[in-house]
Amino acid sequence: MADEYEFEIKRKDESGKVYYSTYKVPKDKISTVLEGLLYIKENLDQSLSFRYSCRMEICGSCGMEIDGKPRMACSTIVEDLKKDHIKIEPLKHYKVIRDLVVDIDPFFDKYREVKPYIIRDDDGKYDKELPQTPEQFHEYANFAMCIKCGLCMAACPIEGSDPNYLGPAPLAAAWRYIADNRDQGAKYRVEVVDGEEGTSRCHFAGECTEVCPKGVDPSFAIQKLRRTALKIEIASIFGGR
Amino acid sequence: MAEKEKMKYGSLNRFVQAVTGLFLLFFLGVHLYVAHIDFGHPVAFFSSVINQLHNPWWLGFFLIFVYIITYHGVNGLNHIIADTSISEKAKRNIGIALMVIYVITIIYGTILALLVAKMTVPS
Amino acid sequence: MVEVNKEMKEGITAWAKFYKKGMGYFAFAFHRLSGLVILFYLYLHYTVLSNLLRGQATYNAIVKSITYGPYDSFLVLDFLLALVIFYHGANGVRLALNEFGIGMYHHKALFITFEIIAMVLLGLFDYYALQFVGVGF
Repeated sequence: MADEYEFEIKRKDESGKVYYSTYKVPKDKISTVLEGLLYIKENLDQSLSFRYSCRMEICGSCGMEIDGKPRMACSTIVEDLKKDHIKIEPLKHYKVIRDLVVDIDPFFDKYREVKPYIIRDDDGKYDKELPQTPEQFHEYANFAMCIKCGLCMAACPIEGSDPNYLGPAPLAAAWRYIADNRDQGAKYRVEVVDGEEGTSRCHFAGECTEVCPKGVDPSFAIQKLRRTALKIEIASIFGGR
Repeated sequence: MAEKEKMKYGSLNRFVQAVTGLFLLFFLGVHLYVAHIDFGHPVAFFSSVINQLHNPWWLGFFLIFVYIITYHGVNGLNHIIADTSISEKAKRNIGIALMVIYVITIIYGTILALLVAKMTVPS
Repeated sequence: MVEVNKEMKEGITAWAKFYKKGMGYFAFAFHRLSGLVILFYLYLHYTVLSNLLRGQATYNAIVKSITYGPYDSFLVLDFLLALVIFYHGANGVRLALNEFGIGMYHHKALFITFEIIAMVLLGLFDYYALQFVGVGF
């Protein structure tokens, strides 16, 4: 068995030229893909560009396509990939700025569209706390774990054919707030989450759930969101809202 | 306070697609059984088809079957097209075109079924 | 809405690339492919049925040619069509149950279960259908 890993990385320079660069990284120097990239940058090629921050799967910065699947570089153990040749590419369905750095602004724009905050009809003018039982908390707690890494957007097949689709993370965020008993804003989010680019575009491929590093299960959230939207739609047909 | 958004019916569309799919389980199951397993004479399908359509219940069955299966298929195709990144205007136009195709198909299917139901098996 | 950037697209066939993806992706991709095949067949079927208006001799000749020859190779396509219909139906039941909120926690197990049931029913259907066209066992 070889003493080195071979990292084949898809690069893009300032002129827009796309090419692959291969680097040999000693096995005894690294354990995660991010460590491999840092080794390359420090010792082999300072021009390699990539995002990272916390190195512990909390900030959501280091998402990239590792061996054909969207993963977090900081938490992907190279040995677990069971191969010596590792192919690394920028996340799909995002515009590449440089090398492994992608433009995530469109993702955050979509996130803002679903109004990811508590909305109340009383405009926050209440004279006592808003109680929440542990059961009510657990209704949405899982979906609040999202670190906005964008891996689910890269994995979604509908995002691949239509980038206008809101996507798993924003829709899961919409459900996180609608499922929160303190929120009264479902009716204010209906047009977005149930519009042309909303829940009706999800076909339950489930790949978003497969790749989510925090176990958020966005596909489940979207199915729940669709049922809630259906109830609102049927109620609106019969006069209620 | 946030403004109330306009109503959209994307979820209702998907729900109707699911319900029509469930109905089709029944219709297709009956059709496959009758046509391929328990239909009668294996070769002379003509007489079997004509005799069956003389029965008004079977005629009604096939008419509803055509309406539901064509809707389910054309709506499914519309979903596939909606998942592309063509312009909203193009999606709307294709949606209208598919609706027209659906209407033409069910009119044609109705006329065909009624004409066939009026036919007789030559002696 | 967000401005679409051409670099972000994978293409209109992105949904069909199920290689190295999960079971749910495979199920979804084949559900779409099978749906397209069935829709194509549906209009072909309407076209063939239109020949009923041309009378017994013409219609029976068409049916005989695709069942017993010289175009009996269509029977192979018929069996593939049955496979596709049964697959689409089984996965469709799973998706329809999801719309009703049933089985959302166990969708993979449901997929496998329904597909196994569908393949067993397909086997029975193929057996009896072959007997119906006169092929004995």
